[in-house]
Amino acid sequence: MDLNQYMGMFLEESREHLQALNRCILDLESDPGNLSVLDEIFRSAHTIKGMSATMGFTAVAELTHEMENILDLLRKGTLQATPDIIDTIFKCVDTLEQLIESIGNNEENTVDTAPLIERLKALAKGEAPVSAPKTTQAASAPEQKVQSSQTTLTLTESEVSVIQEAKHKGLQAYEVQVGLRAGCLLKSARAYMVMSALDEMGDIIRSVPPVDDLEKENFELQFTVIIVTGEEGEKLQATLLSISEIDSALAVPIAISDAPAVEPAKTEAKPEVETPAVEEKHEKAPAHPSGDKKLRGGQSVRVDIDKLDTLLNLVGELVINKTRLEQIGLTHRLTDLVETIEQMDRVTTDLQNVVMKVRMVPVGQVFNRFPRMVRDLSRELNKEINLIVQGEETELDRTVIDEIGDPLVHLLRNSVDHGIEHPDERQAKGKNPVGEVRLIARHEGNNVIILVEDDGKGINPEVIKKKAVSKGLITQQEADKMDANEAVRIVFLPGFSTAEVVTDVSGRGVGMDAVKNKIESLGGMVDVETKINEGSKFKIRLPLTLAIIQALLVKVSEEIYAIPLGSIDSTINITQEDIKTIQNREVILLRGQIIPIIHLADVLNVPNQAAEKQEELFVVIVHLGEHKAGIIVDNLIGQQEIVIKSLGKLLAGIKVMAGATILGNGQVALIIDIGSLMQ
Amino acid sequence: MTEEVNYSDAEEQLVAFKLGREEYGVSILQVVEIKRMTDITRVPHTPDYLRGVINLRGSVLPVIDLKARLNLAAQPYSDDTRIIIVKVDEISVGMIVDAVSEVMAINHANIEAPQTNTSAVAANYISGVGKLENRLVILLNLEAIIGNNQEGKAS
Repeated sequence: MDLNQYMGMFLEESREHLQALNRCILDLESDPGNLSVLDEIFRSAHTIKGMSATMGFTAVAELTHEMENILDLLRKGTLQATPDIIDTIFKCVDTLEQLIESIGNNEENTVDTAPLIERLKALAKGEAPVSAPKTTQAASAPEQKVQSSQTTLTLTESEVSVIQEAKHKGLQAYEVQVGLRAGCLLKSARAYMVMSALDEMGDIIRSVPPVDDLEKENFELQFTVIIVTGEEGEKLQATLLSISEIDSALAVPIAISDAPAVEPAKTEAKPEVETPAVEEKHEKAPAHPSGDKKLRGGQSVRVDIDKLDTLLNLVGELVINKTRLEQIGLTHRLTDLVETIEQMDRVTTDLQNVVMKVRMVPVGQVFNRFPRMVRDLSRELNKEINLIVQGEETELDRTVIDEIGDPLVHLLRNSVDHGIEHPDERQAKGKNPVGEVRLIARHEGNNVIILVEDDGKGINPEVIKKKAVSKGLITQQEADKMDANEAVRIVFLPGFSTAEVVTDVSGRGVGMDAVKNKIESLGGMVDVETKINEGSKFKIRLPLTLAIIQALLVKVSEEIYAIPLGSIDSTINITQEDIKTIQNREVILLRGQIIPIIHLADVLNVPNQAAEKQEELFVVIVHLGEHKAGIIVDNLIGQQEIVIKSLGKLLAGIKVMAGATILGNGQVALIIDIGSLMQ
Repeated sequence: MTEEVNYSDAEEQLVAFKLGREEYGVSILQVVEIKRMTDITRVPHTPDYLRGVINLRGSVLPVIDLKARLNLAAQPYSDDTRIIIVKVDEISVGMIVDAVSEVMAINHANIEAPQTNTSAVAANYISGVGKLENRLVILLNLEAIIGNNQEGKAS
């Protein structure tokens, strides 16, 4: 069923209901016993749940479902609407907003609802709420007072003198009190529009809260600006009210009593202007306990990733054409041209770097949400855990960043749930009762390594083997043959879970193989090292980017192929005699290791193969996980950065090829997919 | 090739090209551009008629040999050989033809349903035969030749 046509409607209605929720919860907070408000909240939540379930957005549906449970208890009177519960419900609404916005933007859902759902469940059981760590919203400007047509701010001496000076010039100072509509989604944007509108009409002297806080949405629904302007108060108000989601704007002239020279024409700036006073309830409750989630440094623009891809393609084209010009210059010995192209070379290289950098995002964007998650999880599991995050500034391609969140959540949950022991158990083992989980990102060559380490109980290979055999994932014989390292890697097999009790946190047996699949689909690898009672270390290796990779160009007969450098161990020269046969398979011996060999020309059915066999052979040793193979090619051309291009629909799914790239001379070279080559 | 042709609803505009001695045509609406013969990178494990891929301004485009696809006798490429780039069912493909002759308009009334004995080409690849003075132009059904409803990946 195609639900896309209903998407717009879904988004619109959801947003409406979320606004209604925000409004009603505020009402509920001021009047906890009000059943009709509760009913309205319940209806809105129920509608959102129904719609999202129909549309298949399970995260939204699940969250609203849990929220409903709480609301139901409130309605029955089993629970009282304590500030904690209200906070939690607000948090739900915020999270729902995020979820629905990400659906609207067609983004991968990066919001983790699980901690919230657990919290709701805990509340439903009537458990004493884990005191949620407060975000910074408490810091919102303390000066805010109930709105009136009086000025509310006290002026500093320097401000008074500025205003006096302005009066001499015939300007008037106003205190502009702006109120945003309840449930306004883009508070900072609205505030910005107000500020820039005011800025056009006069000079802003001060804003309360300060502009920084406005940008970070560190305010509730009101803010106040002092401005000196030649415009009239009414004009200010009208201008501001024309900005959407502005509920009220009140410009109160500031009278300076001891102004020496009064009587400027503009003093009649109507102090009696009446604007609809903002309803009081807006002041009472925090509308968005979202706090500091939008820390921004500098100005930025959101750009569709497709546009960046196009840009990258165009730069690639430019580089190719430059190479052609270079060749023309060289063949015709045009010194001037060659010199100019050298200049151009520098520019194009810079351009390429910049375009690549534009796509890079610090991994901290994903890491940021983990401290809170680990804290919540450890509280829930009655463990004491210290999460150490390092290398947040490490940059990865945007596409990788978007995908890496879920696998990391899985790994961290596993560490917290299965890895770290309970404090008393740790003490009995002579360990620090506070467990340590480390999340580390760093560069390593052309890869980014992300480590998830814990100092917990480690993974016991014998337990793993037993479990795997009992689940029928491997046979007893296979288990007996495995060494400890191999056994531990069983955790990545589908359908494997060691948790004695299936908990909400993890242990449904879908985790680790999903992690592995995801990371491999990103062109990365995941591995695990563990020592019993010392801890486990999950190591994720990711390519910096999915669009550009380092590759080795090789020649087979007249054809050129690219082998991704990430899969290459080394290249060696051998002679025909070095090739041995074991069980009818050709192998070579490399540092005591038997490595099967693959003739690339045969696999690719390359025509016009040289009749005589070369005496000296080039072998590219590649690896896939633990397995190695030697690929025999005719010649090595060299290492090069290549832009991966898709082969298109018609050629999708062909064997052995991972894509294509365009070489400096404009020719297309195919990229070998080591994974399928080795199978 | 770009001579002015009056277009009306009653007519169909065609890009006409040669395969061997026969003249073929495809609707101009399906044609993206026409290119000279260029280096083609062979793609292993694909059907014979799929000659490989070319670089079309930075994107990778598969190219089929139309004569091989239609089981016509092969002939070495010459200076007249062209690649007609067409887009069918969102798939862009280059088709190698012996020569491109012209853009022509054919009145719908002059297009006949295909008869089995018109050409050596299998009947389901032909959507009709256009008659123009003393010429016959075989109209190809590109949907069947390269579109979604053909088994292009079978080797």
